[in-house]
Amino acid sequence: MRNEKLIKEQSIPHDSATKHVSGFANYTDDISEPLNTLHGAIGWSKKAHAKIKKIDLKDVKKSEGVISVITYNDIPGRNDVGPVFDGDPIFPKTKVEYFGQPLFAVAATSTELARKAVLKAKVTYQDLTPIVTIEEALKKNNLLFDPRIIKKGDPQNKINKSKNKLKGSFNTGSQEHFYLEGQVCLVVPKEDNNLLVYSSTQHPSETQQIIAKMLKQKSNSITVMVRRIGGGFGGKETNFMTSAICAMLSHKTKHPIKLRLDRDDDIIITGKRHDFYSEYEVGFNNDGKINGLKIKLASRCGMSPDLSYAINERALLHIDNAYYLSDLEVKNYLCKTNTSSSTAFRGFGGNQGMMAIENIIDNVARFLKKDPSDVRKINFYGQNKRNITHYGMKINDNVIQDIFKSLLIKSNYKKRYKKIRNFNLKNKFKKKGIALTPVKFGISFTTIHLNQAGALVHIYTDGSIHLNHGGIEMGQGTHTKIAQLVANSFGLPFEKVQISSTNTSKVPNTSASAASSTTDLNGAATLNAALKIKLNLNNFIKKKYNIFSKIEPIYKNENIYFGNRSFNFKKIIQEAYLNRISLFSSGFYSTPKINFDKKKFKGRPFYYFCYGAAVTEVTIDTLTGENIVDRVDIVHDAGNAINPALELGQIEGGFVQGQGWLTMEEVVWDKYGKLKTFSPSTYKIPAISDTPKEFNVEIFKKGSNVENVVNKQKTTGEPPLMLAMSVFFAIKDAIASVSNYEKTPELDAPATPEKILLSVNKIKNLIL
Amino acid sequence: MVSNTIQFLFKNKIYKVKNPDPNETILNYVRDDLKKTGTKEGCAEGGCGACTIVLGELNKNKLIYKAINACISFLPTLNGKQLILVEDLTDENNKLHPVQDAMVKFHGSQCGFCTPGFTMSLFSMYKNYTSITNEIVDEALSGNLCRCTGYRPIIDAAKSLNNKKDQDKFKKNENKIINLLKKIKNTDVEINNRGKMYFAPKTIANLKKILKKYPNAKILSGGTDLSLEVTKLRKQLKTIISINYIKKLNFIKKSKNTIEIGATTSLFDFQNFIKEYFVDFYDVLKRYGSLQIRNVGTIAGNIATASPIGDTLPILLTLDAKVLVQGINKKKIFPLNEFFISYRKTKLKKGEFIYSIKIPINKENIFKAYKISKRFDDDISSVCGSFSFLIKKNKITKAVIAYGGMSEIPKRAMAIEKKLKNSDFSENTFSEVVNLINKDFSPIDDMRASRNYRLSVAKNLLLKAFHEINNKKIIRIN
Repeated sequence: MRNEKLIKEQSIPHDSATKHVSGFANYTDDISEPLNTLHGAIGWSKKAHAKIKKIDLKDVKKSEGVISVITYNDIPGRNDVGPVFDGDPIFPKTKVEYFGQPLFAVAATSTELARKAVLKAKVTYQDLTPIVTIEEALKKNNLLFDPRIIKKGDPQNKINKSKNKLKGSFNTGSQEHFYLEGQVCLVVPKEDNNLLVYSSTQHPSETQQIIAKMLKQKSNSITVMVRRIGGGFGGKETNFMTSAICAMLSHKTKHPIKLRLDRDDDIIITGKRHDFYSEYEVGFNNDGKINGLKIKLASRCGMSPDLSYAINERALLHIDNAYYLSDLEVKNYLCKTNTSSSTAFRGFGGNQGMMAIENIIDNVARFLKKDPSDVRKINFYGQNKRNITHYGMKINDNVIQDIFKSLLIKSNYKKRYKKIRNFNLKNKFKKKGIALTPVKFGISFTTIHLNQAGALVHIYTDGSIHLNHGGIEMGQGTHTKIAQLVANSFGLPFEKVQISSTNTSKVPNTSASAASSTTDLNGAATLNAALKIKLNLNNFIKKKYNIFSKIEPIYKNENIYFGNRSFNFKKIIQEAYLNRISLFSSGFYSTPKINFDKKKFKGRPFYYFCYGAAVTEVTIDTLTGENIVDRVDIVHDAGNAINPALELGQIEGGFVQGQGWLTMEEVVWDKYGKLKTFSPSTYKIPAISDTPKEFNVEIFKKGSNVENVVNKQKTTGEPPLMLAMSVFFAIKDAIASVSNYEKTPELDAPATPEKILLSVNKIKNLIL
Repeated sequence: MVSNTIQFLFKNKIYKVKNPDPNETILNYVRDDLKKTGTKEGCAEGGCGACTIVLGELNKNKLIYKAINACISFLPTLNGKQLILVEDLTDENNKLHPVQDAMVKFHGSQCGFCTPGFTMSLFSMYKNYTSITNEIVDEALSGNLCRCTGYRPIIDAAKSLNNKKDQDKFKKNENKIINLLKKIKNTDVEINNRGKMYFAPKTIANLKKILKKYPNAKILSGGTDLSLEVTKLRKQLKTIISINYIKKLNFIKKSKNTIEIGATTSLFDFQNFIKEYFVDFYDVLKRYGSLQIRNVGTIAGNIATASPIGDTLPILLTLDAKVLVQGINKKKIFPLNEFFISYRKTKLKKGEFIYSIKIPINKENIFKAYKISKRFDDDISSVCGSFSFLIKKNKITKAVIAYGGMSEIPKRAMAIEKKLKNSDFSENTFSEVVNLINKDFSPIDDMRASRNYRLSVAKNLLLKAFHEINNKKIIRIN
């Protein structure tokens, strides 16, 4: 019985794994170029804030191999790639607003020649003062939107009445996505001005719309196809500049165009994670329970809104993390700066909000000289009371206490906590630290209409299944998981199901593969399509074979069972075809129950929550600030996982990406707004020896989903990133040991060796 | 005999390219001309490993396999070698190679873009080692970045190859490969591609002749720095002379009191040799770029580029190394201390090249070196500190101290050295003397580190050296 174990819930390797390891998985840059393909390159601004006086492109046009040059003058329609709001001109007319802003583009006979040509432009600027930091923007009140204030209860009064009070400020840094495959697009012109667009994007539908608007054409003239992308992490959710410019070059030259950004250009031109600055005032009891919290959250949004509103909103929605905050006020400032437009990045603001509250809890615990894990526990949301969030949503799936308890035991936290304190007494230069941090992360797009998905399922006459859905395969294994669901639904082996490129002409009006919800939404839409086909088939079989019982047929082992009668799947498909039964269907899904009033900041923005927790132990060198992650223990809720191996991959990978964000990854702009970290030689993402020396990850054994999500799974897209908060607070714990835990270290993220050493020095009162 | 055609072995066939563009990278050649797109461009600067390929080379009738970055290697340097790409690993029946199989089995790929590079690094590890330790895995994969997995499954895949007997198709075809490689005529190469020249002489005499004619030529060995002028700055290198085919320049000689390293000796070969003599030098070299870089990069290259953050330089300064420079007519020898003039400027004149580096061995000296950077693997130092002491009866009779990352050239800390000389070897001495760091250095703020941090770490490294020597133990976290 080959199919006895459900095909779902098996750790099948990624459906492209064999191709990945043998070099035959094609990415956009690997697609065979059609005859006469030209290659693009973008010329960009060398100033962060300036009036454009003149762009002299004479030498560019004369440069070897150049066929065409485009500027804003060539754009027939909308000169903007902003997804929600305007503000991201493809080529600005009068003013540049960040270092790296595209100004023009060329098409040449080779990539090399195109890239050489753009360097020959002579641009004269009239300097304007750039605003680079959050601090400067706040001072000058340079904001993208009016400040947003949310309030619950009477926090000031609660703070005033509290036994203990603390004030402070905190920063978390930006982060470059550093997807290994950079931004790349291939556009092939077709008849009637139609364009076929291959793009490395998380959002084919929006790519289609933006190109259509730019060219003043209808959406039905643009088709976008994506087989797979080499990592996205939010960096390809918007960032439509590459595909728009590529399409514009193709439109103008009538040639196929490939535009692949060089790594430096990619990092310089495209947006990154929002840095956040927070100021807080908190009142709390002697046991650490928070009574009232006032917090100011300001973020560096860059030169345009892009997705900053939604990202900041998610920060506001996650300022509680797993904690009940009875009385709360948050003031949110979206700072406009002369830097690339900050954009989506795994966590999408949620992680920045969570770091703010975790830092407060940590400081409260250190003030009270308590184990921070105890203070965390005491503030957790309750099961039956203390279970309404600050936006009025009742939490009915809370498993954080369970996870916390199981992790305490699994990691032997309390014993190690003591052991580490002993170690630190005995060691002068090397210090250890440990921290346990929880994660609660809300799942759904907070823009409600985006929570929909479509799919298209075909059964061919040989019984093989082909399917498309709106989700993008970016490494997370969504195609594998959805194929597992479909194979299971039809009772077929996994190999019988094939998913091909995501294609706007097969499934229209898709949402971005984002918000961790790709498999939830597209999986459900696909199963909906499968169900419709199955209903056709069932009716056909019943009618043809005179089956009158109401019994539900079972699809299993390549057969369809009606009670004790069985029909071979392949045979019945052929028969159905000959009897003119439809063997394909579209499917649709929209998430139920959710609603959110953005003005009142009230409602149920999330279908469900993901939970997890991590314990991390680190060692720091107090002479150099170097640090090492000795051990990590994680318990993470993946619900009833469709493919445990792939979920494990998301959890571990998310953790290390978060570790990078909070430790070594440092985006640096100089005071003129020039980005100084734009290549792997200057920007450091975690490498092999940064992997925790001991890494114990457990998928929460009791995991399920109280809501009706496919397979009762819980997504593992973004939430595991936040497990890495434990690394940061373990480092802080190690620094605190320098003062024998008398003082609270001042430490901002990322905790680079430099920040660690300066914090150690400060605590030793050894400020240089 | 001189040839304008390069020859290399690919898929058991000898490929010939006449007058290739000397500025074209192997990566572009493989993707654009061979139409093999499995090898990826991630950064075009040897910093991510997505372009990793493996080259087979004959060394005394034995095949040596090295992982390299195809994105910063020029096409003519393929001459005489076997090119192995990720598409070539599966066997005749399309069965996955053991390293590929392990990667699939352990779920080592997610988005898959870095995977070909990892696979090739693992392949070269598999060919070079049977017993796979954690240290070997870390080294083999130090130059491959993955943004999806967090590395754990890849590490497990690598470890699963421990004690696997090498029976892959390359092993089975070994004799055939060796015979084919021997068939490639071993001649000097001289290329002229529309005015872009490339020379690969086989003898020092011929090298001198070429240098005399083209004194402005760029000398290429590993090319890990030089190639960036093409891939990053988009410059054209008009004349390149590869010295890698001159056997006489690739050596490590040890006499009683000196180690001499030939100009083209790779950092990897050097690192494994030097471990026995200066273990801290070895430790720093393990963090010198990635394995792919160390497989081709050289100490001579590090000296010639004279970068303020060249990791071997402060160490060589403290070890009193000397540079042997070969001119067209005569040899000169410089103490390294006098070799650097200013930012990336040395006393090397046009038409001259570095012949070798000499490192004296003085067993009485106590030597310590540390590299500090944001990331452990493949990062550029914020500060590199190197210390050598001669201590007699608790008196410091000699102190040689040098730092990288602290000024525009790697430099000795003369004020500190002077003060330490004839002082007691004591905590008092050191905690006092570190304050002279401001006298010796005035470092800058940049994206790697601030001035304050650099000063603070430079002091602390000296203190660390003291405590390590004093307590006779290593105080490090790595």
